[in-house]
Amino acid sequence: MAGYQSMIPIHEREQHVIAAAHHILKALGATKNLSDDMRKILADLDVHLSIMNGHNESNGGGGIVEVEKRLKRAEIKVLSWDSSQTMIWDSGSREVSEYLGAVVEIQTVKQSLGGLSLIENGKVKECLYRANSVLQMAMSRLEEELVHILLQHKQYFEPEYTFFHSCQEDLVYDESFVSLEDESVEETYQRVSSDDVSGEHIVDLVHPRVIPDLKSIANVMFASNYDQEFCEAFIGVRKDALNVVILAMEKFSIEDVLKMKWFTLSSEIKKWIWSMKIIIRVYLASEKQLCNKILGEFGSVCSFCFVEIAKASLLSLLNFGEAVAMGSLRPEKLFHLLDMYEVLSDLLVDIDSLLFEEVSSYVRIEFHELLRKLSHYARATFFELRSAIVSDTSVKPLPRGGIHPLTRYVMNYIKALIIYDHTINMLLEDQDMDCSNPVTELENEQQVSSSITSCALACQLRLITSALECNLDNKSKLYKEDALRYIFLMNNIHYMVQKVKNSDLRHFFGDEWIRKHNGKFQQHATSYQRATWSSVLSFLRVDGSPVSCSILKATTPKERCKEFSIAFEEVYKNQTQWSITDPQLQEDLRIANLKVIHAYRSFLGITRISDKHIKYSVDDLEKLLLDFFEGSRRPLRNSHRR
Amino acid sequence: MPATTEYQGSFLGRISIRRNQVMNMDGNHDQELEDIELFQRHIADRFADLLSSSQQQQPPSSEEASTPAAAVDPFLSINWLRKLLDVFLCCEAEFKAMLIMGRDPSQISKPPLDRLIPEMLDRAVKALDICNAVTNGIETVRHCQNLAEIVVTALEQKPFCDGQVKRAKKALSSLMMAMTGEDKEGGSYTRTWSFGRRGSAAAASNKDRGHLHLRSHTWSVSKNWSAAKQIQAMTANLQAPRGNEASGLASPVFIMSTVIVFLMWTMVAAIPCQERNGLATHFPVPKQLVWAQSMIALHEKIGEEWKKKEKKGSVGLLDEMQTLEKSAHSLIEFADNFQFPAEEERVEEVAAQVAEVADTCRKMAEGLVPLQLQIREVFHRIVRSRTEILDVLESTGKVSAPIV
Repeated sequence: MAGYQSMIPIHEREQHVIAAAHHILKALGATKNLSDDMRKILADLDVHLSIMNGHNESNGGGGIVEVEKRLKRAEIKVLSWDSSQTMIWDSGSREVSEYLGAVVEIQTVKQSLGGLSLIENGKVKECLYRANSVLQMAMSRLEEELVHILLQHKQYFEPEYTFFHSCQEDLVYDESFVSLEDESVEETYQRVSSDDVSGEHIVDLVHPRVIPDLKSIANVMFASNYDQEFCEAFIGVRKDALNVVILAMEKFSIEDVLKMKWFTLSSEIKKWIWSMKIIIRVYLASEKQLCNKILGEFGSVCSFCFVEIAKASLLSLLNFGEAVAMGSLRPEKLFHLLDMYEVLSDLLVDIDSLLFEEVSSYVRIEFHELLRKLSHYARATFFELRSAIVSDTSVKPLPRGGIHPLTRYVMNYIKALIIYDHTINMLLEDQDMDCSNPVTELENEQQVSSSITSCALACQLRLITSALECNLDNKSKLYKEDALRYIFLMNNIHYMVQKVKNSDLRHFFGDEWIRKHNGKFQQHATSYQRATWSSVLSFLRVDGSPVSCSILKATTPKERCKEFSIAFEEVYKNQTQWSITDPQLQEDLRIANLKVIHAYRSFLGITRISDKHIKYSVDDLEKLLLDFFEGSRRPLRNSHRR
Repeated sequence: MPATTEYQGSFLGRISIRRNQVMNMDGNHDQELEDIELFQRHIADRFADLLSSSQQQQPPSSEEASTPAAAVDPFLSINWLRKLLDVFLCCEAEFKAMLIMGRDPSQISKPPLDRLIPEMLDRAVKALDICNAVTNGIETVRHCQNLAEIVVTALEQKPFCDGQVKRAKKALSSLMMAMTGEDKEGGSYTRTWSFGRRGSAAAASNKDRGHLHLRSHTWSVSKNWSAAKQIQAMTANLQAPRGNEASGLASPVFIMSTVIVFLMWTMVAAIPCQERNGLATHFPVPKQLVWAQSMIALHEKIGEEWKKKEKKGSVGLLDEMQTLEKSAHSLIEFADNFQFPAEEERVEEVAAQVAEVADTCRKMAEGLVPLQLQIREVFHRIVRSRTEILDVLESTGKVSAPIV
């Protein structure tokens, strides 16, 4: 446009050139399939030609009049809508394109007039002034239309929140280790799987039909340098829409989270995991796409808008994670921490791709930092289990010698844990492991066949169970009766072996461990037998074998039989109260006890004591033995007597 | 933040090396006293610097025009706050070194520290929530900056014409709304769609109309959380150690607690923040404490400002926001009475104001994100120190009550 000055001396030929150019423009303008850009360029040229013509003709005469006319037409369009109650975009595409046409016209006029800085013509000034006013009016209007379309065509994606329903009852490990029964673990502990929202789940947050409308508004507003207003409005509406989603998730202060009861916290953590997935994989991914569709052509503005929309929700998710990672070390938290860790490490790729631009790098780094914290925290919590076992002390022995809640707790805990084997191994490998424990060394001597048995987690699991055995051993010392002490140990170790054998734990512990521990509880069973019966059976010694126990005063078979019955009754009274919950084990031990019957039968056979001196027949004894280990005291019923 | 790292390195290094030497020799009481004294002196020096930098600048607005502004950061400006945060980070590093490094852990689980330290950790947690609320408040400030930038764009175009003045006016009214609506809404953003007559008509047929009038509330922290109450709670049990305690570790614990309370209180006063109504202006630090002199003076100064501004829908005392507010008021007046063509005199006046707004926007654009990052750094630092102190307590096995 620098050439205008030189054009001022009028030549007729130039007049012709301008006229010809007009014709060409008209012809071109009549063509359909012209892009918006092309149309704009043509309109632009047209105005320029008009103005040039005007100058050439009569110094501010006809050309500017032409421009004024065009401005007037556009102005009428804008003004007519300004007083209208209906929204333009609700009134059909013809109205829309006419309105947009008018706006483009004003822009063109404004730009062209603005370019002619040397013309200190009152008319031009006035036109420019009017163009500015009308443009402002139109922009303000477009902003309203934008907000209106965004609100009117907003679409919600409502995912099912499945965890709330399926997992209401949560596994609550309490400090006393007593609230846990096997069934509750198996039935209620459901791992929060991170696979249910995998991959990209882009939804249309705004009806796809209106995307071109939004884009056309963006184009016009950006072209008129109203990009700030556009972003302001766009960010505002979208951010509000996202807030509605976030509001489903209650916000907590860090103080709230730290003071929260475990039960509440655990359900909030599940919500967090769910929200993370939905918000990042679905909402933010879709939001980003929406931004790209509408503002993709405007470069950094696009990512600026996205980050502004997304930031608050991301920070709020981040802060909850931070707060959880600040909590105290409690073994029961481990599962949820691992869930959090897994979901976050899974989502980091998504976060990185959503926030790859410079503007958002700080939020991105914060998420990486949170992952680091969670891994640290989860690892510490994992180790906490062993310290919790070591420091769990009792003052009274567990009545009836049954399975200690600690044993149940630990075994169910580790059984539930191994579904996280991959993650835990990863966390443990970060740490320098100390595997030089007697338990593991012993096993290392054997050929370790599978690699699972030698992974970091397996190592730790064996350390945990050996800490448990150690603790049980200490607890067993609280019993006054040796026999009950062995029952207790046998019960608990048997329970451990069963848990390992009947679950995937067996891969981690290996056959060698199982074999060894089978041996251990059998050893305890044997010790029990010896402790219970050796003194009782001593009454039944016959054929002159030396009576080992010097306490025995009774010498005649009749007397010994009587003493035996008294001793047996004593055992009966005690051991019917003791408890072996595993039916197979109970059965095995009863069968083992039958050797008393054999001894008794042969005693009776050899000594031939008359029936009236015999309190219990062999059959009586056999029946009585069946009452052992039922866990409830039984009176010796008279029916057994003859 | 070159200043921070420089301080940290030197203090941490010096203290730890020396302490290790002393610990070997047994009987470190004198050393402890010396450390505490040094700590107090550093606190006094750093806050004296802050105070003097805030006194140099007398008339807050006119000075900027006359002298090169580069020399001094105005009191409660973004850069001033950043200095304060730096001071905090330095004090904190030094404090932690004194409390934990090379010290017999059992010492901090004995009275009176067994009570003072959990109280301090409780303050730390509250401070974290304040950090988050303030970070969120900075988003509001950034929103104001964006709106102010529109005003600048509109009014930098010469000559002033009706269209651009209207544009500016629209942005200005949004700006005023963003500035004043803050505490009432208790949330982060308070955009209101300025629908005219058409808006309500359109809204009537719109199932989403709730969004037009009833703004969705977003709380930066939790629903009933109040910055003022948190400050109150942090201050409530803050008591200067007396008698024998005054010479022991109770003293640096008190000092550090005072610094953290002061920092949080200042940020809450300066930056829009969830629920600041009734923000206390009482500072429970005895005036005779030498190390506290400058801090008390600063506190009084900020407190006075707060009392002045609190009543008229405060935007916070942040210098840049105050400037924006002032300019916005007079620009609104200009826009309301605008008639084309504008008077020559008025044009110059407005141009000067627009230049000031532009300058403020530039400062915001440069400073707000670093400020946010620095607050985040403070956040992480507090978290880390809390963990470290808890670890020490844990190792002594004397934490019976769960510590929040």
